[in-house]
Amino acid sequence: MSNDSSGYLMRANGLVRVYPDGEVQALRGVSIDIRAGESVAITGPSGCGKTTLLHMLGGLDSPSAGTVEFEGRNLATMDLDAYRARMIGFVFQSFHLLPTLSALENVQIPMFETEWPRGERLKRAHALLEDVGMGHRKEQFPNRLSVGERQRVAIARALANEPRAVLADEPTGNLDSVNQGEILKLLDRLRQERGLTLVIVTHSAEVAASCDRVIRMRDGRIVED
Amino acid sequence: MRFTTLIARNLLRRGVRSALTVFGLAIGVSAVVSLLGISWGFERSFVQIYESKGIDLVVVKAGVGDRLTSNLEQSLEGTIRGVPGVKSVVGSLTDVVSFEEANLVSVLANGWKPGCLLFRGVRVLEGRTLEEGDRGVAMLGRVLALNLKKKAGDAISISGEPFRVVGVYETESLFENGGLIVPLVDLQRMMGREGVVSGFVVAASASDRVFVEGLGKKIESAVKGVAAVPARDFVQGDNQIRLVKSMAWATSAIAMVLGSVGVLNTMMMTVFERTREIGILRALGWKRSRVLGLVMGEAAALGAGGALLGAAMGYLGVKLLSQAAMASIFITSDLPPTVLLIGVGLGVGLSVVGGFYPALRAAAFEPSEAIRHE
Repeated sequence: MSNDSSGYLMRANGLVRVYPDGEVQALRGVSIDIRAGESVAITGPSGCGKTTLLHMLGGLDSPSAGTVEFEGRNLATMDLDAYRARMIGFVFQSFHLLPTLSALENVQIPMFETEWPRGERLKRAHALLEDVGMGHRKEQFPNRLSVGERQRVAIARALANEPRAVLADEPTGNLDSVNQGEILKLLDRLRQERGLTLVIVTHSAEVAASCDRVIRMRDGRIVED
Repeated sequence: MRFTTLIARNLLRRGVRSALTVFGLAIGVSAVVSLLGISWGFERSFVQIYESKGIDLVVVKAGVGDRLTSNLEQSLEGTIRGVPGVKSVVGSLTDVVSFEEANLVSVLANGWKPGCLLFRGVRVLEGRTLEEGDRGVAMLGRVLALNLKKKAGDAISISGEPFRVVGVYETESLFENGGLIVPLVDLQRMMGREGVVSGFVVAASASDRVFVEGLGKKIESAVKGVAAVPARDFVQGDNQIRLVKSMAWATSAIAMVLGSVGVLNTMMMTVFERTREIGILRALGWKRSRVLGLVMGEAAALGAGGALLGAAMGYLGVKLLSQAAMASIFITSDLPPTVLLIGVGLGVGLSVVGGFYPALRAAAFEPSEAIRHE
């Protein structure tokens, strides 16, 4: 693990995001530091800028002003495709598994950006699905899986390239309370076993309470950390 | 999982649309294969007429691009024979007749002198060949005899005049097999072109190209107002051949452009429908080039499917056409591999071109926006 000298894995400095029409300001000077191995919940009402902040931390979007650093390096100077492929794993509320691929094949999708040979990719995908409790369902296509199972496959996919951090956008938003509990336990176990940093955007107080740290946002600003 | 598995699954996911796109492209490719194949066979058959008889030069009226419209005095034959380097020369008349009762139009009627060099390569399958002094007799090519259901000894009406079939022949040329031969004087009389021939064919004393071209120049100097052209050049410059080839290419081009637009349309729709999915792939770290490769791969796969199906359809189409009575005179069933390769190459190539813009669009998506796409 090669954190920067200050011990932070990710650091946002004065992030501003103004959308092209110039009227909507999704972020208004957000600064946060996230330590390696930490689990952080970002909460707040709809439209407060939590997903925009998550996208910027994950290199999916660029700030209008301010910087995002990962291990002390400014993302603006990095190859963002490689950053997303190797350093970050994303988990989405609607899972976003490819419907034409089995669970095993879905997990291999991010691995196309690695140099692992096909056999190695397959082996890793098998192991990941076993790890998230989906080994017995690996040949199933998404439409034959329950919502909880789909999210487990999505989590396995997020871990495909051994990322340093997992960024999850409402990962339990489509789940019932039983599945929500199981997914939270799974994420926490994986974080501890793999030394992952976990950043979760959520509306749920329960989910937020399961994290080490809670950041509350409103109107594009952090109001509580 | 291979990258190609993903391409195949994406195409199968919209099976009906993919199949229709492949079929549309296949129609374009089959048009290319069949039309180019027919025009190629047309040209090759003409070339074979001359090559099989050892003819080096064709002498026609200068400025005439079609042998059927060339008129030269038959008496020029002696002048041409006197040019040093000419081994043998003979004049012939070519015209077109119809057998409407058999639904045959544009049948080539050749007026030849019995025993002349034009009979080289003519194999008599039945009956006999033309002999000195024959009048009112005809030899039918194998295909024509088949279509007219005539054999040696049968009576036949040519342009309203009674003839007797004395023989059935076969040569290497489809055109000759679909035509007929009558004594030169008979055809001249029937067509009101007494003392006139369409042109002369010349066998040179040496067959290398430089010598033959030089001999052509000498003939043109000795006989004013004629063009003496090497046989292959004559065929390639023939107005009918050029027209057939131009039509084939023009029609093929239109068919292929339509096929390519079909691929463009399909790929644009698929990229639009899969915007969010492409955003997810980008979020998972896929480079723009990989997204480009995915969409281009799908377009190329559609192209390959359409090209192979189209080549098969074109091949079968030409086979079937070559067996139809009216078309069998002009169409040979053996398509050269080059024509099939051109068809397949154009099909795949234009599909890739058609897929390029949608692929660029897909690769240009910003992941955060694409993920939000509904």
